[in-house]
Amino acid sequence: MHRVEIAALLPITITTLTALAVMIGIAIKRSHTQAFIGTVVGLAIAFASVILAGGVPRQVTPLLMIDHYASIFMGLIIVSAAGSALLAYRYFELRDTQPEEFYLLLLLATVGAEILACSAHFASFFLGLEILSISLYAMIGYLKERRHPLEAAIKYLILAAASSAFLLFGMALVYADSGTMEFARITRAETDTWYPLMTTLGTTLIFTGVAFKLALVPFHLWTPDVYEGAPAPVTAFIATVSKAAVFAVLLRYYNSSAGEHAFFVILSVIAVASILVGNLLALRQTNVKRILAYSSISHLGYVLIALLAGRDTGNQAVVFYLIAYSMTILAAFATVTALSGAGRDADEIDDYGGLFWRRPLIGSIFTIALLSLAGMPATAGFIGKFYLIAAGAATEQWLLIFVLIVGSAIGLFYYLRIIEAMFSAAQPVAPVLRPISVAEGAVLVTLAVIVLWVGIYPQPILAVLARR
Amino acid sequence: MDAAFYIASVVAIGATVLTITRTNAVHALLYLILSLLAVAVAFYTMGAPFIAALEVIIYAGAIMVLFIFIVMMLNLGERAAALERRWRTPGMWRGPAILAGLLLIEVAYLLLRAGNATGAAQAVEPKQVAMALFGPYLIGVELSSILLLAGMIGAYHLGMRKIEEMREEHGTHIDEGRVVASGDLVHAGADRADRAP
Repeated sequence: MHRVEIAALLPITITTLTALAVMIGIAIKRSHTQAFIGTVVGLAIAFASVILAGGVPRQVTPLLMIDHYASIFMGLIIVSAAGSALLAYRYFELRDTQPEEFYLLLLLATVGAEILACSAHFASFFLGLEILSISLYAMIGYLKERRHPLEAAIKYLILAAASSAFLLFGMALVYADSGTMEFARITRAETDTWYPLMTTLGTTLIFTGVAFKLALVPFHLWTPDVYEGAPAPVTAFIATVSKAAVFAVLLRYYNSSAGEHAFFVILSVIAVASILVGNLLALRQTNVKRILAYSSISHLGYVLIALLAGRDTGNQAVVFYLIAYSMTILAAFATVTALSGAGRDADEIDDYGGLFWRRPLIGSIFTIALLSLAGMPATAGFIGKFYLIAAGAATEQWLLIFVLIVGSAIGLFYYLRIIEAMFSAAQPVAPVLRPISVAEGAVLVTLAVIVLWVGIYPQPILAVLARR
Repeated sequence: MDAAFYIASVVAIGATVLTITRTNAVHALLYLILSLLAVAVAFYTMGAPFIAALEVIIYAGAIMVLFIFIVMMLNLGERAAALERRWRTPGMWRGPAILAGLLLIEVAYLLLRAGNATGAAQAVEPKQVAMALFGPYLIGVELSSILLLAGMIGAYHLGMRKIEEMREEHGTHIDEGRVVASGDLVHAGADRADRAP
C-alpha cells in the first residue's frame, strides 16, 4: 500500500487505534474518565486528520473510495460521534453500570460508519454496515438491567438482521448479473446484460435494506420503540451517525447506477410515504423521543427528494441537509440527555412544562433546535429545506416539493406543541431535573451556535461542499 | 452438473425450514448441521472446494460443537437425563439421515466421476483465495477483525453479571455441585418443576 493511500485512510485508522488504545487502557485500569478522555481526544485527532487527508479523490484498494464527499461525511460522522460521547459521560455516571465499554462500542460503530461513508464496493458496504449494527445492538441495550433498552435492542437486532439478509440477497443478485461488486463498474456491465431483471430485483432489495436502516416508510416500524428505549446519548448517535453513514453509501450507490430510472418511481413513492406518514404519526405522540423518531422518518423523506434530483445541486443539497439535520437533532437529544435524571430519561412532554422559565438557557437552545427541525428562517433547517426545494425545482419535481411543503406544515404543529409546553407556566414533574455538566453545557451551546450560524451565514459550508 | 447443485440447494432449504420448525433445540441443531453441510456441497459443485471445506470445518464443525456443548452444559441433573431419553424417540433420526444420505450419495458421485471433480469451468484453489484476501481485499480482512471485536465487546458487556448477584442466585445449588437450568436454551427446566406451581 502506497504512502498516500495510508494517509488517505488516516481518519479510519486513527479511530480504530483509539478504540484499541482505550481498550488496553481499560484492561490496565478501569476508569470512566480515562476512557472518556481517550475517546474524545482520539476523535478530535481523527477529525483533524480528515481535514489534512482530504484532497484529491483516491481509490484505496477496490473497497474504499476516499473523495470529497467521503471526507465531508467522515467529518460529520466524527463530530456527531464526539457529541454523543460528550453527552454519554454524565449520563452513564448517574447510572449503575460499567460505562467504559460503551466508549469502545461507540468508537467501533464510528469506524463502521466511516467505512460506509467511503465504501465503493459491496464487501466494504456490508462489513461497514455490520460493524455499525453490531456495535449499535450492544449500545442500545447497554443499560441491560432495564426493560426498555433491552426490548429496544432485541427489536433492533431482529429487524436489522432481517434487513441485512435482504441486503445480502440483493448484492448476490446484482453480482450474479453483473459479475462485479464495485459500484462504479456495475453500471458499465449492465449495458450488455442478459438479465436486467436480476439487477433490478437486486437493487430493489438493496434499497429495501438501506430503507430499513434509514427508517423510511414502510420499513419504519422499529424507529419509535428504539428511539424511546435506547439511552438518550445512543439515540443521538443513531439519529446522526447511523443515518448519515447509510445515506452516504446510498448516495454513492444511487449516483453510480443513476443511468436507469426504474427506481425513480419507487423512491418517489417511498419519499412521499415517509414524509406524510412520519409527520402524521408524530401528531398525537406525548413522548418527546417518539416525536423526534417520527420526525426523523419524515426528515429522511425530505432528503430523498434531493437524492432523486441528482446532479451536483441535488448531491450538495443532500449533504447540506444531512449536516444541518445532524447538528439540529444532536442539539435536541443533548437537551433530552441534559435533563434526564438517574431514574429515567426526560422524554415526556410534561417534563418540559415551563422549562423556559426555570432553565432559560436549555429552554432557548431546545427551542432553537425545534425551530430548526421545523424549518424556520434563521436556522440551519431553513437553509437546508431551501436547498432541497431548489434541487427539486431544478428537476421539476413539483409533486415532491408540494408534499414537502405539506409535510413541513404538519410538522410545525408538533414542534410548536413542545415549545408551547416549555413556555407554559405549568409546574413540571420536578425529579428528573438535575444540574447540567460542563461537557453537556459545552455541547449544547456549541450546537446552538452552529445551528444559528449555519442558518444565518451558510456560505462557508456551501463553499466547502462546492469544492470538488 | 446443475442437477447436483439443485439437489444440494433443495436439501439446504428443506433442512433450514426444518431447523426453524423443530420445537426441540437438539433436533433443530441436527438439521442446522445438515443445512450447513448441504451449503458446503453446493459450494463444491460450483467449483469452490476450499470454501466447501471451510464451511464444513468451521460451521458444521467448530461452531456447531460449541452450540451442542452449551445445550449439554445447560442440562445437568437427573431430569435432564430423563429428558434426553425422551428425545431419543425412535424415528426422529430418519429425517436427518435421509437428507444426509442424499448429500453423501451426491458427494460420492462427484468424487468418483472421472475428470474434473468439481465439474465447474475452473476450480478456485486455496492459493487464489489467499491472494485475493491479502491483495485487494486486505482492508476487508481487517474490517472483519473489527467486526468480531465489536461483537465480542458487546457480548461481554451484555453477558457480564456481577459476581455477588450470581452467588445470590445460584449459591445453594453451586454447593450441591449442580447448576440451575432455568433460563436455558432448551425447554428442559430441570429444576423448575420442583419449585414452580
